[in-house]
Amino acid sequence: MQTIKNIYKAIYYKLFRLDDRLLLIIAGSVAGICSGLAAVVLRLSLEFMIEWLHPFRHYWWALVLPALGALLSSLYLEKVSREGAGHGVPEVIYAVSRYGGLLRLRSSYSRLLSSFLTIASGGSAGPEAPVVMSGSAIGSNIAKFLVLNDRQRITLVGCGTAGAIAAIFNAPIAGLVFSIEVILGEWKFVNIIPIAIAAVAGAQVCQAIIPGQVIFNHQPFNMMAVDLLPSLGLAVLTALISVCFTKSLRKIGGLAKKSFLPFWGQAIVGGCIVGAIGIYMPLVLGEGYRFIQTMISGSFSMGIFLTFVVIFAKIFATAMTLGWGGSGGIFAPCLLIGSLTGVLFHKVLFVLFPTVGCASEGAYALLGMAGLISGVMQAPLTGIFLIVEITGGYETILPLILVSSIASTMSHYIEPASFYLKDLIERGQFMRPGTDARILSDLSLNELIETDYIQVSENMVFRDFINIIKLSKQNFFPVIEDKTQIYKGVIQLSTIRRYALEPGMYDMVFLNQIMDAEVVTASLGDDLQDVLDLMDLNNMDNIPVIENDRFIGMIAKTKVLDLYRRELIMQTNIQ
Amino acid sequence: MELSKFELSKYLGVEQNTIDRWIRQGKLPVSRRGATYSFCATDLKRWAAKKNISLNFEKQSPLEKKIGPLISLTKAIQNGGVYFNIQGDDVKDALNCSIETIQSIPQEFKPDLLVRLMEREQALSTGIGNGIAIPHPRTQPAYLNEPLVAICFLENPVDYHALDNQSVFILFFILCPDLKLHLHLLSSLSFCLRDKSFIQFLKSRPDPEVLIEKIEVLQTSNTL
Repeated sequence: MQTIKNIYKAIYYKLFRLDDRLLLIIAGSVAGICSGLAAVVLRLSLEFMIEWLHPFRHYWWALVLPALGALLSSLYLEKVSREGAGHGVPEVIYAVSRYGGLLRLRSSYSRLLSSFLTIASGGSAGPEAPVVMSGSAIGSNIAKFLVLNDRQRITLVGCGTAGAIAAIFNAPIAGLVFSIEVILGEWKFVNIIPIAIAAVAGAQVCQAIIPGQVIFNHQPFNMMAVDLLPSLGLAVLTALISVCFTKSLRKIGGLAKKSFLPFWGQAIVGGCIVGAIGIYMPLVLGEGYRFIQTMISGSFSMGIFLTFVVIFAKIFATAMTLGWGGSGGIFAPCLLIGSLTGVLFHKVLFVLFPTVGCASEGAYALLGMAGLISGVMQAPLTGIFLIVEITGGYETILPLILVSSIASTMSHYIEPASFYLKDLIERGQFMRPGTDARILSDLSLNELIETDYIQVSENMVFRDFINIIKLSKQNFFPVIEDKTQIYKGVIQLSTIRRYALEPGMYDMVFLNQIMDAEVVTASLGDDLQDVLDLMDLNNMDNIPVIENDRFIGMIAKTKVLDLYRRELIMQTNIQ
Repeated sequence: MELSKFELSKYLGVEQNTIDRWIRQGKLPVSRRGATYSFCATDLKRWAAKKNISLNFEKQSPLEKKIGPLISLTKAIQNGGVYFNIQGDDVKDALNCSIETIQSIPQEFKPDLLVRLMEREQALSTGIGNGIAIPHPRTQPAYLNEPLVAICFLENPVDYHALDNQSVFILFFILCPDLKLHLHLLSSLSFCLRDKSFIQFLKSRPDPEVLIEKIEVLQTSNTL
């Protein structure tokens, strides 16, 4: 019995703990399956609800439906699950870069529920970001259950994300690319295989439950050399639209913060406005996959002017939904706006040059989608692979690459941060691996502090202090009060050198007369980034650390450099 | 070989909290049994070689360089000895006679030592004033086995180009194979020579035993 146990232990350690690849693949596929399930559940329930609410859309009071949904959704997020509104992708990115992918278990269902309420009632938002949030929370909690370390947990978060996106679009490679390009931000060999397997698992779950009901059916398109020039024009147009989309999302979200309504009031106002638009243009309501399908298949019937108006109506409705209390993502709105842009471009092109034999309207809708995803998320690869997988072939690859790369470059030029990262950058929370901010956030003051200091009393005579200097190696001497041990100031050898070489002064002064009481100090809870800024500002090489009026130790820049370098080595060459 | 977290923190040269964090973030090859961690030395070496990290596996840390125990001034004087009535009319003569007299210097090194001492005198006189000079070579004579301080009272005071132009009546030779010890002896000696009464005492040409005893007493007041 003992031997069997030993053999089991040995195999367990060899296979799973020492080399974690197998472990990550197995756990990753579980994460992919779970997040795929979450995606399918959200999609099916959305379809059911939208179907059920459809007959009521014609009534005038339908405009309160989105308001009701947004209200319930924001109440649920604020009061029950206590998570902030918004789409959740920045939170996942921040959790990955700051806390090793640590996410709460309730995140795995709270966003699903809130976005279900928002979208089913007609709010203009996408179900992808909530599904990403829930998939990554599932991956994170699987890692927590298996007691994995941060690196492995991040991989599983990526697996959950990839599974979710793959399941929604039935596009495993798009899931893999989205997860690595947007969420993790680094292409690492150890990550790619588990994430790829998770993506395939997610897509298979979707196919197994609802076979043949993928959102976008495979459609063959014929794109020829003649389409290259128009696609350049489309790229520029999608870049402009995506910048407009990003800006209005933020502007209108900012308006909500300025209005003095409580959060539920904002949700009601925003929902009513969206509902009012929706009565005249039902196209803006919900996630809009149905309309994308009609555009891809080429049976979209709106005229040029109406299409143009609908683009901006959709942008406005999405901004109102997401900025004013609703919950959901921007992925589906991006796709809808992108396909509208493509269709509009094609229609205008057809009017201007009726004889040019370029590809169908559906093909341009796809190009527009790729352009908008690349522009808004600044993730060109995600755009390219999503469309490649939707079309099921590589006929469109050249115009796709053109549109994606130009759109992302242009929008990057106008708006350097993508929509997902902008908030993080503004809050100083953007910490991709290998960046300065990431390394500094990893190092805590506890690891850098040197506590081995002789402390001297403020009532000590200078002569006694000279004798202490002779025997010690330190350059800084914290001065404390006699009875209470409270920190009073610090004596720096370089500043008292003049007095130290003047024996006549030895019996004349006490330490509180020569100490520097105005030295800037740090405390243990401070961020290293702030402490370093403080040191730069005051031109210091060493800073005392004070906690509860007690001297704890000193932090030296030399020590920071030493550990910074080690950290850089550790972060850049992981396997 | 299994290593503990404490040992590893010493080998990597970081704090233990840093090791904790690296384990949490999955940056170290570690095996976990319950709540304790252990590190396998061979795994670590392979890992460190792959990442180009230097592991400080030697027993002795480089900071603790081998410094012998500091020798006291009195012990060094006992090594060197005290000599009276040294002849000599000028610096070179006085030095030469002193070296010839000092017994603890091996005979074959005496000419070389004289050259070195003269070089030092030509660079800057070692006469520190009050009739005292501390001749010593600028580079350490490695051929000596142990540090020695020899005290030589001159028969006639010699013009030593001292800082205060006083004629020198006593020479303190500091001959030390190690620079660290040399500086230590020099600082101990300077401490004694700062005392005015001690200089008066020297001028009375005391007996060696009394002299050493006096220096011993003076040393105890030096906190260094």
